[in-house]
Amino acid sequence: MPLISARALTKRYPGGVTALDGLTVDIDRGIVGLVGSNGAGKSTLIKILLGLIDATAGEATVFDLDVRTRGTDIRQFVGYMPEHDCLPPDASATDVVAHLALMSGLPRTAARERTAEVLRHVGLYEERYRAIGGYSTGMKQRVKLAQALVHDPRLLLLDEPTNGLDPAGRDEMLELIHRTGTEFGIATIVASHLLGEIERVCTFLVAIEGGRLLRAAPLGSFTEQTGFLAVEIGDRVKVDDAGKAELLLPAERGAAALAERLAADGLTASVDGRAVVITMSDARPYDLVRDTVADLGLPLVRMEQRRHRLEDLFRDAPDGDGASAAGPPAVSPPPAPTAPPASSDPPGASPS
Amino acid sequence: MTSPVTAGSATGSIYDLGYRGYEGPRLGRAFAIRSLFTHSLRSTYGLGRTTRAKLAPWFLLVFAVLPAISIIAALVLVGRFGGQISDIIGANSPIRYDTMFSVLSGAAIIALFCAAQAPELFGRDQRFGILSLYFARALRRTDYTLARMLGFAMAVLILYLLPQLVLFLGRVLLATDVVAAFQRDVPSIPPVIAEGILVALLYGGLSMVVSAYTPRRAYAVAGIIALFTIPGIITGIVTGLGSSTAGDLLTLISPGFILERTNALLFGVAGDFDTTFVSLPDWAYFAAVIVGIVGSFGICIRRFQTINV
Repeated sequence: MPLISARALTKRYPGGVTALDGLTVDIDRGIVGLVGSNGAGKSTLIKILLGLIDATAGEATVFDLDVRTRGTDIRQFVGYMPEHDCLPPDASATDVVAHLALMSGLPRTAARERTAEVLRHVGLYEERYRAIGGYSTGMKQRVKLAQALVHDPRLLLLDEPTNGLDPAGRDEMLELIHRTGTEFGIATIVASHLLGEIERVCTFLVAIEGGRLLRAAPLGSFTEQTGFLAVEIGDRVKVDDAGKAELLLPAERGAAALAERLAADGLTASVDGRAVVITMSDARPYDLVRDTVADLGLPLVRMEQRRHRLEDLFRDAPDGDGASAAGPPAVSPPPAPTAPPASSDPPGASPS
Repeated sequence: MTSPVTAGSATGSIYDLGYRGYEGPRLGRAFAIRSLFTHSLRSTYGLGRTTRAKLAPWFLLVFAVLPAISIIAALVLVGRFGGQISDIIGANSPIRYDTMFSVLSGAAIIALFCAAQAPELFGRDQRFGILSLYFARALRRTDYTLARMLGFAMAVLILYLLPQLVLFLGRVLLATDVVAAFQRDVPSIPPVIAEGILVALLYGGLSMVVSAYTPRRAYAVAGIIALFTIPGIITGIVTGLGSSTAGDLLTLISPGFILERTNALLFGVAGDFDTTFVSLPDWAYFAAVIVGIVGSFGICIRRFQTINV
């Protein structure tokens, strides 16, 4: 039984806008990214699952309960973080969250205790007694997440949770979502139009466009199989006492030598300018690459993961198996875990 | 993918203090409705809110009780100086159970209370986008609407009944024969409560309709005051002009007027108002009150059934 199931779900708004157009998808537990451009139907899908709006046609179930008839039963176990502002400025975070806990059916004492716990969990401490009107956007987003978590839901629906946040705030929010989803085991759906963010926290992706399903597949299944490791080599130079540099081995030749050694070790490696591009399978050859580079005495500039842009994958492989993908490799922003100290250079730029 | 902060690291351990699952009872929809009712009642009197939010309702509540307190004070003074108590509590007294509605509505206390406080519920929930948080919980839209409206009506009922209660306690406890006084006043209790419920539901319902459609507070306040005064003025002018069918029917649109006539019906007395030119029977006004209550609740339910969140 999938956690969420939608069958031919269609929503037309008065005025002729079709937000969902026969969407059929099953979603299981885990942290699921719901991606699509603005107006793709992400918010509409979430609202139908919550029973906030009715579908024009088709059906949907959450926890195997029909969203049209069992709305209150479903919503007791669902937390919802809306996209828009939804907090009264004249009340404190504690008051709002505790009140909403009661609205989810928690007894009064439990509501108070859970409010304190959940606000601490999202990182609000003394300021939780102050009026929300004085909060920063980041703090408000945390309160919105807290109210979605206060009744310990089995399912979290987060609609653009990083909206309006600065980069540091985004990182913290994503981190919080990741922790909530993985360590506390709460099934989470994160709607976002930013793939770069969503792929950092999700294990499964559902892409919709124009109200239709483009593709639903585990994130890992294609990033692992279609990922590339780029190992960039520098020129080997010798600097004499006068400060004069003598070129011993140009980077291109060093890269060629490395590619040859790695190919001999069974990796698929090709030379791309000053870099060696290694196709990554399930095994991650970081240690082998490091040792080989050291063995050859090559100056290692950096190692980074490259992979297909997710947009390309969604466009080119609508078959849904997640294994095949075409298109030119592109560089993704997050550096590989084993990369040398994170460089803030734009991806692909050559360091001098 | 960035690696998550592992448990036990500096930031991780701070967060780890917080989250635990909840295995306790979930009391569900009925409990949520009750809680929202209580919350509406409390917020209307500013309880659990800022001091500023308490000013208007408490000020008006004090004003509502003043007439009853003054008559009780007069009763005490008259008793001490040997006057005729029956002059104070008899049929000639201006402040009795059956005149309380006229006293309160004459001072526009109920209308002002509704205008000041009704926008704090429906208006506030819409203005700040809180509705979607309610509708995403263990409530249905109609549950939300009814809990809010009945909570507010309860607040208006308290505003109406508190002065009556002060009057009752004064009349009974200050009497020389408490038991006799109690027996004398008990028959007034049912009409007092019946009138209070009708006042609370009609004034509360109508003002909630305005605030449901007018999220902006200032407009809602003006709208509610207009709703409670303009029909009364029109009715006054038309009935003052002379007898006419149109005039008769127009009297049915003034909340104050129809409640006055219903009050007179409940207490079996003639009201303090000029009915020389009005020929409709009392039950027509009672029916108008019921139509007003049912209509305003129906309109609000429909409003929140269809509102986009």
